[in-house]
Amino acid sequence: MTARQQAVTWGRRLAAMTWKEILQLSRDVPLLLFLLYSFSLSVVVSGAGITMQLTNAELLVHDADHSHSSRELIHRFQPPYFKFAGEISDPREGLRQLDQGRVMALLEIPPRFHEALMSGERTAVQLLVDTTNAPQGLSAAGYSVRIAGLFGTETGLASAGLSGAEGALPRVSSAHRVWFNPTQDERWFQSIAHVLRMTTIFAVLLPAAALVREKERGTVEQLLVSPLSPFQIMFSKVLAMSGVILIALSLALYGVLHPVFHVPMKGSTGLFFLLTTLHVFTTAGFGLVAATMAKNQAQVGMMTLFVVGPMLLLSGLTSPYESMPQWVQTVMTFSPLRYYIDITYGVMLKGAGLDLLWKPVVAMLLLGGALFGFGMWRFRRQFQ
Amino acid sequence: MALKEWKETTRDRLFLLLAFLLPALWLVVFGYGLNLDVENIPFAVLDRDRSELSRDYLHRFMQSRYFSFQGYADDERALDRLLTETKIRAAIIVPERFQEQLAAGEPASVQTLLDGTFPLHTDIAKGYVIAINQAFTEERLIEYLRRTRGLTQEQADALVRPLTVEVRYLYNEEVRSTWSMVPALVMFTLMLASPLLTALGVVREKETGSIYNIYSSTVSRAEFLTGKLLSYIVISLVNVCVLWLMAVGLFQVPFKGSFLLFFSASVLFVCCTTGIGLLISLLVQTQMAALIITMVVAMIPTILFSGLLVPVASLTRGAKVQAHLYPAMYYTNIVRGSFLKGVGADVLWTDLLALAMFAVALSGLTYRLFTKRPKT
Repeated sequence: MTARQQAVTWGRRLAAMTWKEILQLSRDVPLLLFLLYSFSLSVVVSGAGITMQLTNAELLVHDADHSHSSRELIHRFQPPYFKFAGEISDPREGLRQLDQGRVMALLEIPPRFHEALMSGERTAVQLLVDTTNAPQGLSAAGYSVRIAGLFGTETGLASAGLSGAEGALPRVSSAHRVWFNPTQDERWFQSIAHVLRMTTIFAVLLPAAALVREKERGTVEQLLVSPLSPFQIMFSKVLAMSGVILIALSLALYGVLHPVFHVPMKGSTGLFFLLTTLHVFTTAGFGLVAATMAKNQAQVGMMTLFVVGPMLLLSGLTSPYESMPQWVQTVMTFSPLRYYIDITYGVMLKGAGLDLLWKPVVAMLLLGGALFGFGMWRFRRQFQ
Repeated sequence: MALKEWKETTRDRLFLLLAFLLPALWLVVFGYGLNLDVENIPFAVLDRDRSELSRDYLHRFMQSRYFSFQGYADDERALDRLLTETKIRAAIIVPERFQEQLAAGEPASVQTLLDGTFPLHTDIAKGYVIAINQAFTEERLIEYLRRTRGLTQEQADALVRPLTVEVRYLYNEEVRSTWSMVPALVMFTLMLASPLLTALGVVREKETGSIYNIYSSTVSRAEFLTGKLLSYIVISLVNVCVLWLMAVGLFQVPFKGSFLLFFSASVLFVCCTTGIGLLISLLVQTQMAALIITMVVAMIPTILFSGLLVPVASLTRGAKVQAHLYPAMYYTNIVRGSFLKGVGADVLWTDLLALAMFAVALSGLTYRLFTKRPKT
């Protein structure tokens, strides 16, 4: 047999195995239906439903002054950040509502507020914030301090006969230009993030479960005595599952992201799919390594959960990567999702090409190669 | 029945180890690692003025723990490239004549470029910029008033900053991220591990065919289901106690409520989560499907809609509905309530009731769905 013929048989065998995996998967109707749901309806709900920015923080007011100034100040607590939830006459009632979690903050304006402001005295208002959710509580407090500070400066200057309107005061203001998502449409971010999460979960689990299933039932021994190399056995599973995931991803891209949320594709679509394939392969590597360690599917489930959980929460989709503690950043250099986030947002929203993205791509290639190599080595060793 | 399931579960050492280890380890990793504050925003600067005042202004950004200075740029094109490469998330451009204008009592406008890919972080970064501007403006105003009006520092200060806000943080007095995260993480880990254990346990019998022994035996439907659930509920409740001890001991989160209330809510919640696992396992045929569906069903709504990261109040209508259809949100309320707020059953009874209803509904549903005579 010539080398060419050998290569052809090798390829045919791989194709046959891959086809077998696809057939097996296609018989699992609940799973397929669920896959479909995850990449369509579920993206719509998550994309449209979540705003992480502080919005509509319910603000209760106890106004003991009832003056022009106090009303003016209350009036400045506006949507989108705050929502006026009503006025109360007894502060204890406010505390009760805070306890129940019905409102987020309580603003107390002291008596003689207007008088003090007008006579150039210093005065203070009190703000009680619910910080059971620390970041949200902090930003509510931050906005309040800013609103009140600005109000104070303006009334103070006005009472001294100076007003900023003529532009004759040394103020620093800033003009903000927001790039890549100028309207600050959070649905772009959330819908893409959801697709990334789904891709990652499926990429770890599908090949891992497929491999362990063979191990658990003992059919892997049958495969090993057949003229298939361990590489073909493992790789065919990854190939089949990656194909399925890519199809699901294009469904999400052309069925939801573009038509529903109008997410742009500024970079090259081909590059995006190529790098997605790379991500799916690399992530599948984690699943394969777990699969070689587990004896049954329950074990592989727990092990992959162990990897997937931190990957989803710490790679930078839920909180900014730069603000993570240093040790988390170090550990997360092993998370392919961390690179894939940069790649996806880079290609889709920023229009970046390979010239700008080569660093995450190289990192992912190295990681994927290492994982596959390690998985292969363990797989071979187990059956020899 | 329960004994059999217990034996079967404990025989698998690695699985058992993971079942107990996973929740504890996750609590440590996320408790210490998940930082929701936006800090160290990488930024670059284009200083067209290069004056003393512009340096003073920019210095405030460099000193702030919210920003991390990456260097000076020579022109706007360089900033473009840095932003596209995600080397920086923000850029500040100080215009020419910055010092001159301010000294003459005229306003000056600084330009900031922000990376908008993560709207939440963009918004927060914008807030930090505005806050720094405001503080800088106040100082310039005080200085200006002293110069032009001959006021003392004291008088000018009272004029510019007549109003202060005294903020009191309730329930989490030191505003620690870990305090608000850890109780919610107790919910998160329970929500993930318990259904997975249950679902795989049942489908395993289905796939290997040993469930036919059950079908043909004298064991009743109710006996089978409770037997299956009991061992997983016990494992999860042990985990509840371990997690509680860790939260209080390791993370020093104050526990202000009643342990009895917390524990009974946990029992209800664990019944719900194992019930979800059981429900999934009855609907699918293969372990692979059970594994994946459980993981996605348990993980995604829990991350997004339970109040773990985003308060339910700031969700839109559709997502809010989904949050209410899911037991995780109620349990989050109870956990946070009993840890941080110290409120009792008088406030939390609605959440308790909802959890109880979920538990009843789920067990009723699984009882209906599980027949000893499957069609195929």
